[in-house]
Amino acid sequence: MSFMSVRVKFALILLMTVVVSILALPREDQILKLFGFKNATLQVKQGLDLQGGAQLMFQADLSKTASADRETAMDSLITVITKRANFGGTSEIVVQRQGNDRVSVSLPGVKDVKDAIDRIGKTANLTFLEVNAQTGAQTPTGIDGKDIDSATADYDPQKSQPVVRLQLKGGKSTTNFGDLTTKLNKSGNLLLASLDGEPTFGPATVSSPINDGVAILSGNMDINQARKVAEEITAGALPVPVTLVEQRSVGPSLGKESVQHSVLAGIIGLTVVALFMLMYYRFAGLLAILALGIYTALTVTIYKLSGLVPGYSIVLTLAGIAGFILSIGMAVDANILIFERMKEELRAGKSFVAALETAFTRAWTSIRDSNVSTLITCTILYATASATPIIRGFAVTLALGVLVSMFTAVVVTRTLMRMAARWSWARNPKLYGLKLEEVE
Amino acid sequence: MNIIGRRKIWYTISAVMIVPGVISLLIFGLKLGIDFNSGELSVVRGSVSTATIDKAAKGLGYKDLVVTPTGSNETQIRFRDPATQAKHEANHQTFKAALAAEGVEELSFDSVGPTVSKDIAQNAILSLILVSICIVLYVAYAFRNTPKPVSPWSFGFMAIAALLHDALFVIGAFSILGHFFNVEVDALFVTAVLTVIGFSVHDTIVVFDRIRENLRREKGSFETIVNDSIQETLARSINTSLTVILTLLALLLFGGQSIRMFVLALLIGIASGTYSSIFNASPLLVTWNNFRVKRAAHAK
Repeated sequence: MSFMSVRVKFALILLMTVVVSILALPREDQILKLFGFKNATLQVKQGLDLQGGAQLMFQADLSKTASADRETAMDSLITVITKRANFGGTSEIVVQRQGNDRVSVSLPGVKDVKDAIDRIGKTANLTFLEVNAQTGAQTPTGIDGKDIDSATADYDPQKSQPVVRLQLKGGKSTTNFGDLTTKLNKSGNLLLASLDGEPTFGPATVSSPINDGVAILSGNMDINQARKVAEEITAGALPVPVTLVEQRSVGPSLGKESVQHSVLAGIIGLTVVALFMLMYYRFAGLLAILALGIYTALTVTIYKLSGLVPGYSIVLTLAGIAGFILSIGMAVDANILIFERMKEELRAGKSFVAALETAFTRAWTSIRDSNVSTLITCTILYATASATPIIRGFAVTLALGVLVSMFTAVVVTRTLMRMAARWSWARNPKLYGLKLEEVE
Repeated sequence: MNIIGRRKIWYTISAVMIVPGVISLLIFGLKLGIDFNSGELSVVRGSVSTATIDKAAKGLGYKDLVVTPTGSNETQIRFRDPATQAKHEANHQTFKAALAAEGVEELSFDSVGPTVSKDIAQNAILSLILVSICIVLYVAYAFRNTPKPVSPWSFGFMAIAALLHDALFVIGAFSILGHFFNVEVDALFVTAVLTVIGFSVHDTIVVFDRIRENLRREKGSFETIVNDSIQETLARSINTSLTVILTLLALLLFGGQSIRMFVLALLIGIASGTYSSIFNASPLLVTWNNFRVKRAAHAK
């Protein structure tokens, strides 16, 4: 019937149980160390609502961008936003495109949300303007932020005043700047650098032509402002302007409490379900609890391992934990369907082994069909919830729970019961919540 | 136990359960949260008086300020900041600092702009429609080999009738909660309704599966076969729901505060789903079948 003997399957399940139990435990790194894996820490990735932080959603204004250039604009927008978001040094920043014209930025543990919004949302368009010394008229020079390679904040050694030192890109950018400064130096016109339309540096006279590609700009600012401006210029201008359209932030204390509450709820839920199964299905219930334990360890292991695959890691949110705990209740559903069927077959006078096999075969269609409906819901939830990551978290954990539980409730429980069926004491109908007279 | 014979009683109970919610829905509607309606939501620790919050919000130009204490020692502050979205955080920092000066700790702050809330609402409606269509198709497909007298489509549509029952019950209950207790619905509420729909079908399929099996094996009237099938699967219908309800109760009582309403919606819906799969979906198959037989006889 099956290409693997029950014993082989049992041995494999046992091996898997040991492995996933080790990996699912909180201090798995200590155990892995014994096997020679150093620094092999695995962690369940926590969403912003659990670890605290802010989620920002920016909408790009693509109205002035030709439709052919929109994809490129969005790609470079994400690159620039990622650079800017990483300046704060917060760990594990995630910048993702959402739909056509939105970009979400997750900032775990961020303290100053306002600063983050300002930093990310600023267009930071640096332009150089020529100012006529007599009339004050401003004309663009054609040199802008795209010609700048990097910028650093510095002190002017003579005046001990904060300045921003620009390094121009080599080649044409440096040559053009050299030509411009030569021209200005001769005409006596002034040079003005403006950032997002604000005159930030200058206007100043050009005392000598600048041919080495290094420009030192001074303005009315302190060293911190100079640093910020330098960062903005280095990260580059946003290719299209953005506006903040959504913000969700969670303080660190709420996240911690949520985790504690959820763990408690999970343990209580697991215990109550286990007690119920034990009281109602006796020995079979005990096997179902074992399968449930394997289910829990296996799921946690999958959460942890997914963290190693960039882009596919499962991020646990509060709703995600709810999905997981909910799936504990569902994980035993398949067992209930099988055990009820088995009782029925035993009452009909079948032998233990025959009842066992029929129960698994017959219950399978309802298990499959009923779980598919939940999986359909999860798939659609995931697909339509691009605007709301919290819903995606729920859909992922619930779907994963359904899939893993189908495996543990069907394959694991069946193998355990087949092993048990080898002993005559384990075939006693009383152990399955049946009365002897029911079977005779 | 004659479940099918008493089906009028079960339908009446369903009507009594659903009608008040539907009436409330028609008169009061649902209280839409910022996810659908845009705006700002700040959650603070402790029960904080409206006067304290008004004082903290002074001069910020916040509109439509609504203060709602929630179950476990938290207060929700809902408002609308007419300033541009970019200035919201600056205003919020001032507000948060003013609250902190009063000794009030802010736990979370959400701000949703109108374009985003429009999208969330559209996605919610889209997902409801998609889930319903996919489930009818799936159930009809799964039951394609059903022996006469029932067509696979009637299984699909009765499963839909049962899930509409559950969805309406949950949505109605939240309309009542919204009107009397200021409970707002958010994007998670839609998730709860969709999950309830998935579960409702989950339960219904177990009974339908048995009806199909018995139709192949047993001779007898359709009514008797359906009634036998319900009885044979009664224990598992109740037990499978019970384990889910037990875990949800654990979540409701001990889980995180911010998803309490989400869990409540799931709990109400799944309880209703258990009822509808036993007392509505299968009896409706009989009612529908009888109606078709009568109509066919009439036509002759």
